[in-house]
Amino acid sequence: MRKVLYYLPLFAFLALALFLLSGLFSDPRERDSASLNKALPEFALADVMQPDKIWTPSELKGETYLLNVWGTWCPTCNAELGYLTELRQQGVKIVGLYYELPRDPAFDAPFNLAELQKDVQQKLQQQGDPYQFNMLDIDRSLSLDLGVSGAPETFIVDADGIIRAHHIGDINPLVWRSKLAPIYQEWRKP
Amino acid sequence: MIVEAGQLALTFAFALSLLLSTVPLYGSFTANQRLLLLAKPLAFGLFIFSAVAMAALIYAFCTSDFTVINVAQNSSSTLPWYYQITASFGSHEGSMLLWVLMLCGWTALVAQFSKALPLLLQGRILGILGLISAGFIAFSLFMSNPFARSLPFYPVEGRDLNPLLQDFGMIMHPPTLYMGYVGFAVAFAFAIAALMGGRFDSVWARWVRPWALAAWLFLTLGIMLGSWWAYNELGWGGWWFWDPVENASFMPWLAGTALIHSLAVTEKRGTFKSWTVLLALSAFALSLVGAFLVRSGVLVSVHSFATDPGRGLYLLAFLLVVIGGSLLLYGSRMNSVRSQARYQLFSREMLLWGNNIFLLTACLIVFLGTLFPLFHKELGLGSISIGEPFFNQMFYYLTIPFALLLGLGPWVRWKQQQVMPLIRPLAMVAVAALIVSLGVLASMQSVQANLALLGMLLGAWVGISALAEVMLRLRQFGSISKGITKLNASHYGMTLAHIGFAVLVIGVAMTKTYTTERDVRMQQGDVATVAGYEFTLTEVYELNGPNYGGQAAELDVRKDGQFVTHLHAEKRFYRIQRTIMTESAVHARLSRDLYVSLGEELPGDAWALRIHVKSFVRWIWLGGVLMALGALLALCDKRYRRKQTQREPGAEHA
Repeated sequence: MRKVLYYLPLFAFLALALFLLSGLFSDPRERDSASLNKALPEFALADVMQPDKIWTPSELKGETYLLNVWGTWCPTCNAELGYLTELRQQGVKIVGLYYELPRDPAFDAPFNLAELQKDVQQKLQQQGDPYQFNMLDIDRSLSLDLGVSGAPETFIVDADGIIRAHHIGDINPLVWRSKLAPIYQEWRKP
Repeated sequence: MIVEAGQLALTFAFALSLLLSTVPLYGSFTANQRLLLLAKPLAFGLFIFSAVAMAALIYAFCTSDFTVINVAQNSSSTLPWYYQITASFGSHEGSMLLWVLMLCGWTALVAQFSKALPLLLQGRILGILGLISAGFIAFSLFMSNPFARSLPFYPVEGRDLNPLLQDFGMIMHPPTLYMGYVGFAVAFAFAIAALMGGRFDSVWARWVRPWALAAWLFLTLGIMLGSWWAYNELGWGGWWFWDPVENASFMPWLAGTALIHSLAVTEKRGTFKSWTVLLALSAFALSLVGAFLVRSGVLVSVHSFATDPGRGLYLLAFLLVVIGGSLLLYGSRMNSVRSQARYQLFSREMLLWGNNIFLLTACLIVFLGTLFPLFHKELGLGSISIGEPFFNQMFYYLTIPFALLLGLGPWVRWKQQQVMPLIRPLAMVAVAALIVSLGVLASMQSVQANLALLGMLLGAWVGISALAEVMLRLRQFGSISKGITKLNASHYGMTLAHIGFAVLVIGVAMTKTYTTERDVRMQQGDVATVAGYEFTLTEVYELNGPNYGGQAAELDVRKDGQFVTHLHAEKRFYRIQRTIMTESAVHARLSRDLYVSLGEELPGDAWALRIHVKSFVRWIWLGGVLMALGALLALCDKRYRRKQTQREPGAEHA
């Protein structure tokens, strides 16, 4: 028994090497979301502007929409606001999931809602407002469930609340036309 | 010509490394002393030729020889001369050569300072180092040659160095970090040589200790410089991002920290042997795995090098030989090694064992966090990502028990410690820590957040406990003034490093809690108030640098009407690489940094500015520096040198 114990590091390393070998032949940048083709996880999140209003998945059903994870702290998110606003004008429903970076839920840091509302309002006035409304993911629970790694990220959710696409990075005309628009059109209820 | 000379020198270095990896090892098994004696000159020759190769590459960069592909892709004639030198290790090929040079440098150092070692052991250690060098030189020569020419068609101007790397921090960061990575090769070679001979005693541990300490010293400094560079250059005001490449340097650091502590037990008490050897193997193994992760393209990272599966395959094969081979040897040889020493539950051995457990858990967490996305995907479970929150939370939970133990550790004796005598001094330390923490927090503008209090408490506990312990030891020599010179340098080193850790913990907790940051829109003359400081944008004007253009902003900072400082932030546009870089303006004080980065131009003659007031952020790097200084002090300990000077005459007779 003791003999085998000393070989454990070797076995662990060999297993690792196997993974590294297969990893060499796949592209790390190509990734698909774990939540794809699954229903939106359960949540109950407050509206950023009217904290009394609580949004739940069932209220969002009935129409295909984009769920856009963003924050005013994130330069790339701010850059895509303009184009998203254009999409809204073309009739695409976009819901914002506000990801508050400065406040880390693990540390219970203080949080000033009024200041955040002011920030958001100012940013949307400056860059354009693509959102129907914004949900505040203060504990990052929905972001975690969705497998969000940063901002901006965008999901396409169909009328039944099933996630149909997960895009990491900003949405620009090229990304929209080549990747997201086809999926959006496919799942959009006539 | 010079470039070909470099190529030739590297080829010679390869030949020498092959000789070094075979001749002395063969000699060691056939008891042929003449072959063993060859190890030293071979090691020196290897270092000289690799240094010539590196010099030739630097020459090619300084003369802007764009017929060399590596130069054309990573330098330009408008690049300032000091960045032309650093550009020589800014690319994958060049940094590999630097890696080789460092490895050969360590090998030469071992050859120089191993007079006290038995010839057999010396030959084996140098042979192992030669084997590792051979692997890396072959990689450099055949898979990623830094001297490759693009003749007959070559560009008239180079593509310039990545602007991110055009910074003072970048001049220092890679060489220091590589010194650390590669330095663990020495401890690795010592471990392998000992496994071959089956000799692990406190003498062996005393030989390894300075080498492990030196490698750890460089790695600590290298990581700290990297963090400092990211803070100044990336414009986000962050100092650690849990990026896979950062993690690749953090894992060997954690294993190395465990190693230097475990070595102390093996040296003083002759126990923990199999553990220490495994740590010596893993510190370097993790360096190698890190190099593989960075250079093979298995993971996505901001600073991985351009990728090529051929290189990845070569490195993986090399890992299999070096790590797999060493672990196989470990498995087959370690059965016969037994530790005899006995110790009680409450003893320094147990506490250091706890230290090792926490450090290795931390290492495992970083390892899994870094590689889990890869495992997950290769198992066909889809891709996921693990970000900052996971690591932050895990380290939050780990730091608390770790720091509590650390404050206790130095007080406890080897073998067995009575609980009662420690209660009074430690209670006093705890009370002092509480008073200091509350005092500091009360002096901050707002008393809030359990994180700051917790961090202060832990930091003060570790720091005050370390200081009090040193005072106690000094008093044991009779009087403090008498004791100051009598106490070992390594004891001061330990104390300083522990205080460094305390400073780091306080820095992290306070920065996380009290940092205020705002993104503002400002016109000339506007005033933005952040955390009591009034920032006035006095001027924005066009910049014209040697290889960049852009804008610069001038700001005046006042607090309560008093002028504090003048800040100069730049937003550079590098013409050849066509990239935008922020050069943040930083005004540093021990208690806070004022940090301004210039953003994009907004309509209406206005500018977006990001203003941070970062409390105690300096403490993070100060902690790193103190830890490195601690290691340096420990290295100066007479014990490591006395042994050598005593044995020198004897060694010369042989």
